[in-house]
This record gives sequence, structure tokens and C-alpha cells, in this order.
Amino acid sequence: MENFPVCPVCGTTIVPSAPQGLCAECLLRAGFETKSGNKSTDGKLATVLAPLEEVAKCFPLLEIIELAGYGGMGAVYKVRQPQLARFAALKFLFPEKQSSPLFAERFEREAGTLAALSHPNIVAVYDFGKADGRFYLLMEFVDGLTLRQLFRARRLSPAEAVAIVPKICDALQYAHDQGVIHRDVKPENILIDKTGEVKIADFGIAKMLNLPGNVSLTGTMDVIGTPLYMAPEQIENPHLVDSRADIYSLGVVFYEMLTGELPLGKFQPPSQKLETDPRLDDVVIHALEKEPDLRYQQVGQLKADVEKIAQTLVPAEEAGQRVTAAPASRSTRPAALVAAAQAAARAALPPKPVRRPAKPARGRRKIALSVAVVLVLAAALLVLLLLLMNK
Amino acid sequence: MPGAAARLIGFAQTCLSRQWQANFNPLSADDQSKPGEEVSSHGGFSPRRVFATTQWSVVLTAGRAEFEQAQTALETLCRTYWYPLYAYVRRRGYSPADAEDLTQEFFAWLLERKWLGKADPQRGRFRSFLLTSISNFLSNEWDKARTQKRGGGKIISLERDEAENRYTWQPLSYSIPEASLTPEQSFEWRWALTLLDHVMGRLSAEFEQENKKELFEALKPCLLGDGSAQPYATLASILGMSEGSIKVTVHRLRQRYRQLLRDEIASTVAVPEEVEEEMRYLFAVLTRR
Repeated sequence: MENFPVCPVCGTTIVPSAPQGLCAECLLRAGFETKSGNKSTDGKLATVLAPLEEVAKCFPLLEIIELAGYGGMGAVYKVRQPQLARFAALKFLFPEKQSSPLFAERFEREAGTLAALSHPNIVAVYDFGKADGRFYLLMEFVDGLTLRQLFRARRLSPAEAVAIVPKICDALQYAHDQGVIHRDVKPENILIDKTGEVKIADFGIAKMLNLPGNVSLTGTMDVIGTPLYMAPEQIENPHLVDSRADIYSLGVVFYEMLTGELPLGKFQPPSQKLETDPRLDDVVIHALEKEPDLRYQQVGQLKADVEKIAQTLVPAEEAGQRVTAAPASRSTRPAALVAAAQAAARAALPPKPVRRPAKPARGRRKIALSVAVVLVLAAALLVLLLLLMNK
Repeated sequence: MPGAAARLIGFAQTCLSRQWQANFNPLSADDQSKPGEEVSSHGGFSPRRVFATTQWSVVLTAGRAEFEQAQTALETLCRTYWYPLYAYVRRRGYSPADAEDLTQEFFAWLLERKWLGKADPQRGRFRSFLLTSISNFLSNEWDKARTQKRGGGKIISLERDEAENRYTWQPLSYSIPEASLTPEQSFEWRWALTLLDHVMGRLSAEFEQENKKELFEALKPCLLGDGSAQPYATLASILGMSEGSIKVTVHRLRQRYRQLLRDEIASTVAVPEEVEEEMRYLFAVLTRR
């Protein structure tokens, strides 16, 4: 079996056509970083990826099960709290300046705010602190998929999209009411568990790390984010955004759910790309207004509009979609969504790359050939024996 | 046609070597502030100059007088980006032999067209122009071209076996089956990979010219950013350099990579202002799940 190189930044298996053997996605991402440049990486990976035993030493009350993901900004371990008989996610943050008293102060403040958030659609923060010189958050473990992983498995139906969006709205509205802005709403941060419940992860982490946004700690990570999901005003001035920036990002996610693409440049309304209910166009476009004042002002308004449409959503079959989902208006956990999460979990996830060798057939052909030769020989021997016995 | 092919190849070689000479010296693009002992500091680079002489904008805005220049610019672009086109034609269901002929004929058709002399910045980016054109070519021109049989002028050096080998054995991703992408999406994906490969090829060649191929091989993972390579101290001991020199070299490598990337993207868009947007688009293509 050949060994396939894996990108040290995002963890995907590198294809033979990759430019100079480097992950194309991460390479292009590196091209964006023009202002601050890449930071020095001295020994960081080694520090982030401490052996499980070392992590375990710092957390005697936890069973450290496995490393779930890592990247430039930290590492995530799946752990178990035996006394509480539950799993949890242990996230180590890796700010550029660990020793900075400013970071320590900001971490305390922000983590405290996050821990105070209590909502069924927000990934709960159980505990936070500093262990062995590293800042950590102990969080609810969500047994399910990110929206990104769902996208990877297949395209969502409009019925599924309108079932998911109100849940995201609930979480955001609750947080906004508490004065917390997510700042990094994107498919990697939206989780769907096996019961079909929607959970938003990494609230305010971008602010905690003092980054413009797009830092995912749910698994693979972006170092400095790309502006793909960011509101225009957030790109301009990341530190002066309000809750309407989250509404814009949600608009991008919603558009991607409906069309499978991002609303870049002069984008077409979803119904012109695929046969979706044209009333959803208005919602998406309203959320994606470049000017914050023209956008939805409250995420609850967006939710109300989506739910109104959901009640009379044109069934997907009529709209020419190949989906089986029923309109998802009244059910809080639509069957389609649960099925989607479970099916995708079974089929595709965790998204382990299909390790298809560059030239697999030759090896397999060799094996098949050997087996065939052995079978033919055995058959010949059998015939010979029978003949001899007959004589 | 054979004469035209020879002319094209000859010109491309001159053009490439001239352009590369202008751009080589990877380690000296921006090092006024941090002179390093391993690094030479000659040579200069002006992206604007390159942009103005060999690129898609020239093709779009050329008048009759600049026809020759525009033709050459187009040829250079075609030579870099033939593979995504070949794979697109294969994805549309054509056989390897047909795909080879078709790609060659398409380039011949492209280079013969009179549209070249007409300024039309509305044609947009080279990537989308190429995709629209090949799609039209497949539906309208291919039969005509086949019946006329122009004599198999080879515009680009396309080895069918090599192309097929890439097409068959080099998947775009191990986790996303190509069948789940449309031919257009596959084209865009291969386009982005080809562009990055071209940029990295240039970067590598620059180091090679300075006899620093080994250095490039050791440091290229640092391009990916934080946590992507061995610690500088380790690299320093492997390469027999001081840690400080490694830091400086990596810094310059990154700067140079970004410069080359932007230049290459600039060469495929109509106006420099589109570089950022095209980069975002390509990123979206590569992260499309």
C-alpha cells in the first residue's frame, strides 16, 4: 500500500496532480495573505500536537480519546468525562502571542461570555482555562456532521435548507440578544447532530483570537480566513461589526445551501440557478445586501420570512428537484434532515479520503491474475485427478 | 499550418525565456529591508510591464496594429491552459483521439478567428471566455472543422498518452468523486490546479537557476503557512544555515510566490482590478464541496 501524503494544514489527502505536491487549497489561501504575511511557525505544530498522554496528564478528570483535528490555530481532542458519562470536545487555542497578558485577559472575558450562553442550538462551553501553558475550552461534543460535510455528501433540498435556517436564526438571535456576535458563520461552524438538531459552534472565537474571522476550531482550520463568508463591512473593519454581519454570513450560507455555490460578484438569484421557490430569492438577497442598513436588521425577521415560505413551500418534486423531502414547516427536526445527517454520517463521514492509489489497477490486476492462475491450475489438477480415478 | 506551428513554438520559447529572465531572481524581489547572506540581490521585476505585454488584456484590446502581439499572447495562454480544456472535452464524452484532435482544432480555430482584432473588454476573463468558446465550438464548429480537415496543425504539444494518463490516474480529489461535478466545474477545478502548478513551476525554476533547488524543496511546505513545515531550527540544521537566514528566505519565498500568483492571475483577466475577485473565485472553486 502506498503512503499518501496528507496536507499538514487542512488534513486532506494530497492528490498526485497537486502543485509541487502541496495542497492546492491551502496554497491558494496562502496567496491571500498579503498584509500580515505568514507568521513564524517555530515548533508550533509540535506544541499543538502534544501526545495524548501529555494532554491526559493535564486533565486527570478527562479520558482523552483521540485527536479530532488540528491546524494552525489549535487542536481539538475528543474526550470523555467519566463522572458525567458524556463525551466532550477539548479545544486548545493557539494564539500568536500565548504569553501576552492582553490575550489572557481577552480569553477570560470572551470565554466567560460564551460559557454563559445557554441555548439548544449553540454548542455549550462547559469549562475553560489554561493548562500546561495552553488555553483551552471544554465544549459540548456534537455527534454529527458539519454543514460542510453534508454539502460534500450531497446537495440539500430546499425543504432541508428552510428547516435548517430557522434553527441557525434561533441561535444567532439568542446570542445577539445577549450582545454576542458570532463573526464567523460558515458551513464549518454549523453542526447537525444525529437527531437532526442544529448547533452553532465557535461563537465569538474570532474575536477571542483577535482575528478578522473565519477561524474554525471544529476540525480543520483556516489560519487567516478567506473573505468568502464575511460581510463587506467586516472585511473593511473587522473590529467594528454588529450583528448584521452575522446576517450577511448567514445569507451566504443560505445561498450555498440552495445552489451549492457562493454568491460571488454579480450572482444570480437561487431560483434562476436551480428550480427553487422564487420567494426564497427575496430572503437571500435581502440578507446579502452589501449595505448593512438595507439588510435584515434582526435575524428573527429573516427567520419569520423563511418560516412563512416554509409553510407553503413549493414541493421539491414540482420544482423539478430530485429529492424526497416533504415540506418541513411544522416539524422541529424534519425527518429528511435526520435522515440526511444519518445517511451522510454512514456514507461519507468522518470524511476520510478514499485512498485510491494513483495506479491501483495494476496492483489489483496482478492479484486478480494470480488468483485466476491458481484457480485454473486447481481446476486442471481436479480434472486430472478425476480422469485418473476414472481410469 | 505546420509553418504556423513552428512559428508558434519558436515564438513561445523566446517569449517564455524572455519573460522568465525578467522574472527570475526569486530571492531578490523585495529584500531591501532584510539583506541575507545566502541571497543574491540583483534583478528587478515589474508586474505591470509583464501585464502590459503578454496577457489577456492585450488580446482583448488589441487593434489591427497589435494583431501579431495579441496572437502571441493568446498562444502563450493556450499553451499553459490546454490540459483543463482537454479534460473538459473528455468529460463531455469524447474519445481520447477525438479529444486530442478537438483540442488542437479548437486552438487553431481560436487563433484564426477575426475576433482577435476587435477590442471587446466585455469578453471577461480568459477562463470563462475559453469555457464558453469550447462549448460553442463543440456544438457548432467541430463538425465543420472535421469535414474541412485542416491538416492536423499542432498548435500545442499535446501527447495523448500523457494527457490520458493525467486524466485517468490523477483524480481532482480523493474525497469528491469527479462524477459529482459538472464538466464545467471539473474544468474550473483543473484550471485552478493548472494555474497553481504553473506558478509553482516558475518559482521552482527560479530557484533552480540560482542552483538552489534543494533549498526550494526543503522550504516549499512553508508556503502553506503556520504549522505546515518542520520548525525553523530543524530546517536550519538540515540545510546548514542559520535560523535567521531560514526565516528571511522563507519570508522572501512567500512574497515571491504571492507576486507570481498575482501576476499569473493578472495574465488571465481583463483589468488588474479583477485579480482579487478572480482569486476569490478560484478559491471558491477549490473549496467547492
